[in-house]
Amino acid sequence: MNPRTTATGPAQAPQPLEVDGVTVRFAGLTALDDVSFTVAPGSVHAVIGPNGAGKSTCFNVLSGLYRPASGSVRYGGQRLTGLAPHKIAALGVARTFQNIVTTEGTVGDNLMLGRHALTRAGFVSSALHLPHAVREQRTHLARAREIAELVGLERHFDSPVALLSYGDRKRVEMARALCLEPRVLLLDEPVAGMNTTERAAAVEVVRTVRERLGLSIVLVEHDMGLVMRLADEVTVLDFGRRIAHGTPDEVRRDPEVLRAYLGTGADSTGAADNSGAADTTGAADSTRAGNTGAEPSGAKNSGPEGDGPGTPGKEAA
Amino acid sequence: MSDAAKPLLRLTGLLLPLLVLCALPFYLESYWLRIGLFSMAAAIGAVGLSLLSGTAGQLSMGHAFFLAVGAYGYVWFSGDPGLGLPPVVAMVLAVLLAGAAGGVFSPVAGRVKGMYLGIATLALVFVGHHLMLTMDGVTGGFNGRSVEPMEIGGLVLDSGHDDLAVLGVPFGAEERLWYFGLALLAFTWFTARGLLRGRPGRALVALRDSETAASVMGVPVARYRSSAFVVSSMYAGLAGVLIALSFRRVVPDYFGLVLSIDYLAMIVIGGLGSVGGAVAGAFFVTALPLVMAKYADQLPLVAAPGSADGSLGPTEASRYLYGAAIVVILLWAPDGLHGLVRRLRLRLRREPSPPPPEPGLAEPVNPAPTTLPAVPVKEHTP
Repeated sequence: MNPRTTATGPAQAPQPLEVDGVTVRFAGLTALDDVSFTVAPGSVHAVIGPNGAGKSTCFNVLSGLYRPASGSVRYGGQRLTGLAPHKIAALGVARTFQNIVTTEGTVGDNLMLGRHALTRAGFVSSALHLPHAVREQRTHLARAREIAELVGLERHFDSPVALLSYGDRKRVEMARALCLEPRVLLLDEPVAGMNTTERAAAVEVVRTVRERLGLSIVLVEHDMGLVMRLADEVTVLDFGRRIAHGTPDEVRRDPEVLRAYLGTGADSTGAADNSGAADTTGAADSTRAGNTGAEPSGAKNSGPEGDGPGTPGKEAA
Repeated sequence: MSDAAKPLLRLTGLLLPLLVLCALPFYLESYWLRIGLFSMAAAIGAVGLSLLSGTAGQLSMGHAFFLAVGAYGYVWFSGDPGLGLPPVVAMVLAVLLAGAAGGVFSPVAGRVKGMYLGIATLALVFVGHHLMLTMDGVTGGFNGRSVEPMEIGGLVLDSGHDDLAVLGVPFGAEERLWYFGLALLAFTWFTARGLLRGRPGRALVALRDSETAASVMGVPVARYRSSAFVVSSMYAGLAGVLIALSFRRVVPDYFGLVLSIDYLAMIVIGGLGSVGGAVAGAFFVTALPLVMAKYADQLPLVAAPGSADGSLGPTEASRYLYGAAIVVILLWAPDGLHGLVRRLRLRLRREPSPPPPEPGLAEPVNPAPTTLPAVPVKEHTP
């Protein structure tokens, strides 16, 4: 649609992100059980599943916050498992958080934090206002403004993040992740808690970002409508296991998926109902809750996702 | 205001306070200058602590230890039982020594955070006090040591040897040290602003607000935590040197736990994480007891120092006062003096001009002085 791909980002093409047999255990509870999938370069790959399926755990493994008990994550030829989060970030894997985690200051300050791995100015050169530090700050600030424009934040660039609306703060998170010039962008529930207008805008932003920057996007999302519209490929998790994989259409018809969401072996008419019912977050959740209420493991399994460091509720101020 | 007038206004806002500060030694007696000097020294140390506790969110109770390292380091590097180096070199080495002391502690500072670091640094104060008392050869033990005066390009910043007078005003130790302290404070302000507005400052803020976010944004968490500690120790070291120079004697008892707590009070009163706030808080906490001591006889309910027991001395009175100040600030202005000034500015700026959304909302309280006040301005003497 827009031929500015090379003008707004480095020309380096993304490489496949391979998740291979990853298992994560929390004190006897298996949050991820031998999960494998590959994110094709430049594609949008959705990871879906009911609450507690292990989606956020999966993201925390990808960004290096958790170390898996076994299995590996590779980006191109580089093994990511075992690397510290900041090293993974420097390799071009950026993420957002389910509950917004911004830092104090303006939108610009937050975006410039995203440039951390790409900039060099240290304590001494910043303290003494050395020319190269000043110059670096200026050029990267210009790029941060471009990215703010890309996601539609240019008006708010100098406003404190705390004063922005929920939807805009979500955008700040995405823009900050984009400021790393990532080759792989991990979006953890990018439209959770948004109203219809905000949601539509967010979908537009994800589309634009993908077209302009040509990066791979891994998406965790409850909103099935959004997943079906955006994703090229879908991986479905349930109780930490991969239960289905394929294009949105294939996954929609998969009996395993229907069972996970509805708790019954539904037929093809049920599939149509399901895709409609699961179109909103609330519907998908309540379906799930209604059917797993009787299973004790359902409640137990939602533990690690809620408590993990990837969901730092106290930090989201 | 018009856009053309703005830089002019900024420049005036920058030069005017500087001019006033440079003119003060011509008008004030040495008692007030000494208060100013102590406050400047405290301001430098407070900026360091503000960087660590305010910006990076790391509580430190050990600031007094690093002040002591700076002060005793200077004395030893420049003094007789010691290396006897030129004072300027001794000062630089003392700052580096304080930084190194912070570096030695950094394996702890890198791993332990928040409240726990506060408790861990508590140990430093006690270890430091013990060392100051026992290492007689270096520290002079309980009685401490006298301090070599600073000497810059042949000019000794001390009274006595020459009868230097500028524009008819005799320039003693306080007058000379005043400009030196001012230069150090300006340097501190300049560097701290650079740090805070640059890449390291943003990383430290991220560290405070969310370690997880900081790490996935590419910030090496442990390294930045220890770096913040080292930088803060170096500012403390510089403050220690100026404290030693202004007191002209260093004694172990000064560098106790109460001093650490005073510094915490300074940065809370001033507003966490702001350079201007730290400086303002430092002046408030340091000058208040001394000013009250000066006017003790005129204040109601406050007795002169050393009068009958049971009466309220000026030191106690000022402690009550700044204890009350902390409570008032925590209740009404949690972002301290700095936040108070900023909100006042915003309001003033908003009322007269109709278009309120002005870029550069987070303007500094005071622009950083970028020139060092090396030469006193020519003022008429009284």
